[in-house]
Amino acid sequence: MTIPSFHLFVQTLILGGLVGGVYALMASGLTLIFGVMRVINVAHGAFLILGAYITYELFQYFKIDPIASILITMPVFFGAGWLIQRYMLSRIANPEQTSVLVTFALALVLEGILGFIFQTTARMVTPSYTSDAFIFATYRFPVTRLIGFGTALLIILLLYLILQYTNLGRAIRATTQDPRAAQLMGINTSMISAFTFALGLSTAAAGGSLLSIIYSFNPSSQADWIARTLSIIVLGGMGSIPGALIAALTLGVMEQMTSIVVTLYWSPIVFYFFLFFTLIIRPQGLLGEIIREKG
Amino acid sequence: MPMLVLENVIASYIAGVEILRGLSLRVEEGEIVCLVGPNGAGKSTVLRTISGFLRPTVGKITFNDKSIAGMPPDQILKHGITHVPQGHSVFPKMTVHENLLMGAFTVKDRAVVSGRLEKVYALFSFLKGRMHEKAGNLSGGQQKILEIGRALMLEPPLMILDEPSLGLAPQTMDALFKTVVDLNRAGLTILMVEQNARQGLASSHRGYVLELGKEKFEGTAQKLLDSPEMAKLYLGGSTDDSPYRRRGKNPAVPPPSAP
Repeated sequence: MTIPSFHLFVQTLILGGLVGGVYALMASGLTLIFGVMRVINVAHGAFLILGAYITYELFQYFKIDPIASILITMPVFFGAGWLIQRYMLSRIANPEQTSVLVTFALALVLEGILGFIFQTTARMVTPSYTSDAFIFATYRFPVTRLIGFGTALLIILLLYLILQYTNLGRAIRATTQDPRAAQLMGINTSMISAFTFALGLSTAAAGGSLLSIIYSFNPSSQADWIARTLSIIVLGGMGSIPGALIAALTLGVMEQMTSIVVTLYWSPIVFYFFLFFTLIIRPQGLLGEIIREKG
Repeated sequence: MPMLVLENVIASYIAGVEILRGLSLRVEEGEIVCLVGPNGAGKSTVLRTISGFLRPTVGKITFNDKSIAGMPPDQILKHGITHVPQGHSVFPKMTVHENLLMGAFTVKDRAVVSGRLEKVYALFSFLKGRMHEKAGNLSGGQQKILEIGRALMLEPPLMILDEPSLGLAPQTMDALFKTVVDLNRAGLTILMVEQNARQGLASSHRGYVLELGKEKFEGTAQKLLDSPEMAKLYLGGSTDDSPYRRRGKNPAVPPPSAP
C-alpha cells in the first residue's frame, strides 16, 4: 500500500479518466441493447475481441490505421448484429429469460473460433504513435489513450444525438419505456429490436478497435471484457447510457488508482467490488430504475 | 352502413381456451358505444382483437367494409383505428411534446404533424403549458388526457378506449367522460369498455352487455340503464337511492344527442 504524491494522484486521474471514456463506449452498446430488448448480450466481450482482431489483421496486412478501420468494422458489425437478432434472438421463446444462454453460447463459439485461428498469443496493434505522449504541465497524456477517449466520446455523442433527436431514436426510447404502447403507435418493435442490436454491436466494433491500441488481447480476454462492461452497466443502471458514462469514468479511475495504491494485480478486482456493492446497496444502479414485471 | 362490424368472432390467447365465443357487435359512424359486463367477460379482449394484438381464430371483422381480421396492429392503425389501452401507457421519461409526436409516428409529413399538434394543444390547453415536462410527472387523469391527445394525432375515424376511468378520482372521471362526449360531438366515433358501467353508459349512445365472451344484451344506453334486470345483474345493485343509480338518472355529463 502506497500513498501517491499529489502529482501521481492527478496523473492517475488522467490515465483512468481517459480509459474510462473507452469503457463507456464499450458499455453503451450493451446497456442500449438491454434497455430496449431486456436481453443481456453476454457475447459483447467476444465481439469486442473480434473487433480487435479484425483491426489487428487490417493493420498487419493492409496497413490500415486502427482508428480508420472503425469505418470498416462498424458497418460489418451492424449487419452482423441485424442478422443475429433477426435469425437467432428473435426466434427464442421468453428472450428475457433464455437469451443469456444463447448469447453465452455465442461468446463461447466466437472465443473458440478466434482461438483456433489466432491461438493464445497476446496481440496488440502498434501504430507508429503507440508510445508517443503529450506532456502538459508535467502530466503525461498517452496518444493512444487520447485518441481512444476522443473517438469514444464522439461516437457516444453521435449515439446520443440519434436517440434524442431522430424519429428512429424516439422510437427506440419509446420501445424501451413501454413496448406495448410503442406498438400502439405503429412502431414495428421487432424492427426496432433488430436495429438496436445492430447499433449496439457496431459500438462493440469501435470499442474493439480502440481496445486493440490500448490493451493487449487474446481470445480468452473476452471474459475480462464482458465482466468489466457488465459491471459498468450494473453500476450505471441497466439501460441508462448516461449512467454507463458516469460508471465507466468512475471505474476507469478507480481501477487505475488501485493499480497505483495497491498493486497492478489487484486492479481488476475493482470491477467485482463495485458490482457486489451495487447489487447489495443500490440494485437499480446509479441512474437505473427499479424494473418490475408487468402484469 | 356501420363503421365497424364484428361477426361471430372467436378468439383465444391459449389454444382451446376461448375468451370470445362467437361475439357480434357493430359501431355506427358518429356513435359512442360502451361495452360493459363482469370481469372476465372478454371486454378488453374484444378491443385487443379489433386492434390486431390478438388474431381471431374464427369470425369476420370489417372496418368501413374492409376486412381487418388478422392484420398486424400497425396495419390496423393505418386503417384509422387507434387504441388507448387500459392503465398508464404514456412514455414516462419522454416529454409531453415527444409523447404527442410519437402519436404521429406513422405520419411522415411534418406540416401535417405540426398542424395536428396545434389542434391537440388547442383542445387540451394544459398540455401546452407542460409540453417540456416529463409525461411521468403528470397526474393520472392528465396522463389519460395525454394518451387521448396522442391517439388524436392520427386523426382517427375510430378511437378505442379501454377502461379510461380506471384509477381516476370521481371529479377527474367526470371531466374525462365530458372530454369523451365532446370529442364525439366533434366527429370522433368511440368504442369504449367501462368497468364503471353506469357512468360509461350514461355518456354513450348505445351499449352491449358482454358475458362469457358473447353479447348478452344490446340496446340504447338509456334502455340498458333503465332495465331492471340490467340494474340487478350488471350495474351494481338496484336500490333506487344508491349514488350510482342517481348518477345514472341524473348523469354528471348530459347524455350525448343521437348521432
